[in-house]
Amino acid sequence: MDEPLDFESEDLFRTSPVPNKKRKKVIGLDDLLTDYYKEQSKIIEKESKQRKGKKMREIKCEDEVSLWGLQIFGNQKTPPRLVFPELGSCVLLEFFKDKKINSLVELDFDKGEVFLESLLVNGWLLKLIHAVGHVEEPLAAWAFNLMLYSSKEVVMASACDFCCAILSSKSEVDSPQIKTDWVPKYSDLKGALETYGFVLGGFSSSTEVVHADSDSGGPPHNIRAWIKYVTVFCQVRNFYSIFSTSEAEDLVVVIILLFLERRLLGLSASLYNCMLSVISFFTENEWHTSSEEVAKSIACRVPCDINCLRAVGTVSGVDPRSKHLRSRVAYQILLTCFGNKVASAEEILRLLIAINVKDKDCDLSKMYMYLVLTENWLLSNPMLEENSVICTMWGVYLRNCSCQISSTDLRSHASKIRSKASYLLQNSSNQFG
Amino acid sequence: MFEAIFQILKDEDSLELIMASYQLLNELDKRFPRVYLSNKEKSELESPSTAPVEVVVVQEAWSPFSDACSGREEADKNSGRSLDPAGFHLLIQDLAKVADEAKSDASESKMLRNMLLLQYLVRVLEGDFIPRNFAFKENTNWPLLRESLPNMLLGSRKIIYKGLIKDCLSVMCEISQFHTESSDDMKGPEKASCVLNGYGSAVAIALPEVEKCTCTAIQKLLLMIMDLDASKKIADLQGLTTRADGVRTPAAEIILDELTYNIDSLSPFFQVFDEPKWKLEIILQYFRKYIAKPSLRTRRSSGSADDTTFGGILKSFSDSSSTKSIIKKISGEVAQILLAHAFQAYLSLSSRHSVEGVCGSGEDVQDSSLVEVCKNMIAAFTCLKRTDVHTEILPLGKEALFTAATILATKS
Repeated sequence: MDEPLDFESEDLFRTSPVPNKKRKKVIGLDDLLTDYYKEQSKIIEKESKQRKGKKMREIKCEDEVSLWGLQIFGNQKTPPRLVFPELGSCVLLEFFKDKKINSLVELDFDKGEVFLESLLVNGWLLKLIHAVGHVEEPLAAWAFNLMLYSSKEVVMASACDFCCAILSSKSEVDSPQIKTDWVPKYSDLKGALETYGFVLGGFSSSTEVVHADSDSGGPPHNIRAWIKYVTVFCQVRNFYSIFSTSEAEDLVVVIILLFLERRLLGLSASLYNCMLSVISFFTENEWHTSSEEVAKSIACRVPCDINCLRAVGTVSGVDPRSKHLRSRVAYQILLTCFGNKVASAEEILRLLIAINVKDKDCDLSKMYMYLVLTENWLLSNPMLEENSVICTMWGVYLRNCSCQISSTDLRSHASKIRSKASYLLQNSSNQFG
Repeated sequence: MFEAIFQILKDEDSLELIMASYQLLNELDKRFPRVYLSNKEKSELESPSTAPVEVVVVQEAWSPFSDACSGREEADKNSGRSLDPAGFHLLIQDLAKVADEAKSDASESKMLRNMLLLQYLVRVLEGDFIPRNFAFKENTNWPLLRESLPNMLLGSRKIIYKGLIKDCLSVMCEISQFHTESSDDMKGPEKASCVLNGYGSAVAIALPEVEKCTCTAIQKLLLMIMDLDASKKIADLQGLTTRADGVRTPAAEIILDELTYNIDSLSPFFQVFDEPKWKLEIILQYFRKYIAKPSLRTRRSSGSADDTTFGGILKSFSDSSSTKSIIKKISGEVAQILLAHAFQAYLSLSSRHSVEGVCGSGEDVQDSSLVEVCKNMIAAFTCLKRTDVHTEILPLGKEALFTAATILATKS
């Protein structure tokens, strides 16, 4: 019955910030206002109101949800031109020329593609394909490209529905309902991301770009279709050999990085589904090594600050694989934080225990980060229950954090560490004590 | 705990918190359902046919809908944290209103929040309704269904039922129209470059998708109500209902009325309403209102049943005199829109046919073969054109025609 403990703990972490934050906000605001009015008393009332709002927002962020965010997307490249001369060779399009049909519809063959697009948008194309049971190569490629590069919302969305429907028609029934002559390669998907301005590594985490409302660049709306398509794509492994294992690993890394882009915050629900889909793509054998690779790759790409906590937090599923990955990622980031000098789990914990939190020079924000990372590493991992040495060390570490920091400690993050550690301590003593 | 998270989703302005609370609520519901069928584990042990379906209702589970739904109308007014039926209606009304206002950043994020909230609430309603309705179909246990959230919600005196359905329709139409309009806008070079530069806000990039899901959510709500109506009718026939159950106009009729009086909403509504079974049913009911009853009812018994299927409707467009009389009542354009959408629904049903059994209008699919329907589609449009020389065939009609003709060509 005590099983869903770490699940519950997650809820607590997410909800507890709220009252906490409100209290602090009030104090912070007063201080800020006095300072603020001293400095800029001459500024017109109206303007000051605007600023106040802005500052309030900043305070709100600063405290708990802090300033995570990486600029994953740089400048967009020019999308490929959406011209498809091969489309004319489609058997389906031959029907445009059919006299009998044309006398009914009165179509201009030159406008065939426009008509085809409206067939796509209004859902007829999919119905047709269902009836015919076959998608020709030019048509599939055409729809795929419209999905990724069309700047028209409706066209993009319908193309995405179309492409996904073709793929998933196979996963429902054993015998494929729709035969496809063409499926995209991994390079097609990756290429699209690069066109959107995606940069793998070397991104700036400067705070200026952190705010979601500052608009500089950012991916086009097609990224939504991309995410959706990848989600479906990974569910149909049995029917196509789409990605190699290393490509799929790459994909997991990409998705975790997408989570770190504040401008995609609104898409986190679809990203979450996408993540689940991609990690279920691996076979049981592959998963063991692949998750290791993913974790290493993440650890060397994400800077060791608030962003790495976000990176761990994004793997938020409660299924065994998500937990496993979360633990792995947290572990690898910890290793990186200690400069990859440590070799074993015990050693990390020994280092952590050795940190004197009473020391005035002790960087408590780092400490807090270590605490959260360690928590994710150990608690999403069955190893803890088996290994009594680790278990004891974890207990010592938690006691350090909770007892050595007094409740009157005013350093930032001090109370956060204290309360988190004592909460965890209570949990672990319930579990093992 | 649930309550606190729900509160965040309801009132918070920060996108991060909105998204997190929305996801968390959904995950929690998945993990701890309020109502579920208990036969799933059993059926693996026993043979599935003999295992009785039992609906397990977790009484103490938290629900976003306040107790006012559950009959104790005056119970706790001060709770404020959960939503009462009037609040639910207000939410939908708000969406209908905001959708046609000009969009500012602030209203966008408020809209996003409200849409997610609605999606969550519909999911809760569904989670409550589907197992109960499933059980009802098995053992006609009406009291169980009577206690379902949607039934309580609709039965509440605080809600204006017809208004609710109408507001649902207008939300669907607004969103559908907004989408087509915005796509036209993007054709302009200015807007296109604006999109390429990524117009910044994290809300803007999420909004179209959320809007789409909201449409789906509302459609689910309507479908749920219509399914509830259908079940209620069965219960009525078997004398299981009491006077306390009250009388409610079936939702399909209200939708039909609204579509009849508000012709402009016809096309956008069917654009987004894509559940084929009910879509076909609504269109058939629409036609049935206007097609003259065959006077020779005595000739054959099948004659009277003719106009209840899509094939039957198509046949009434086969000769010019009956076509003329239909066009007189509803314009040629409306006839085209209806025929095209009905054809689309029919195609969906026929491709799904192999998977699903027959239920209700599913008989249509067997009634006449695909090839037959395609032929009749073409004949109907040809007849429309001949009868009324002034009407152009709409783009939608052309697309339908092309589809029908191509299917014919590939099948023959």
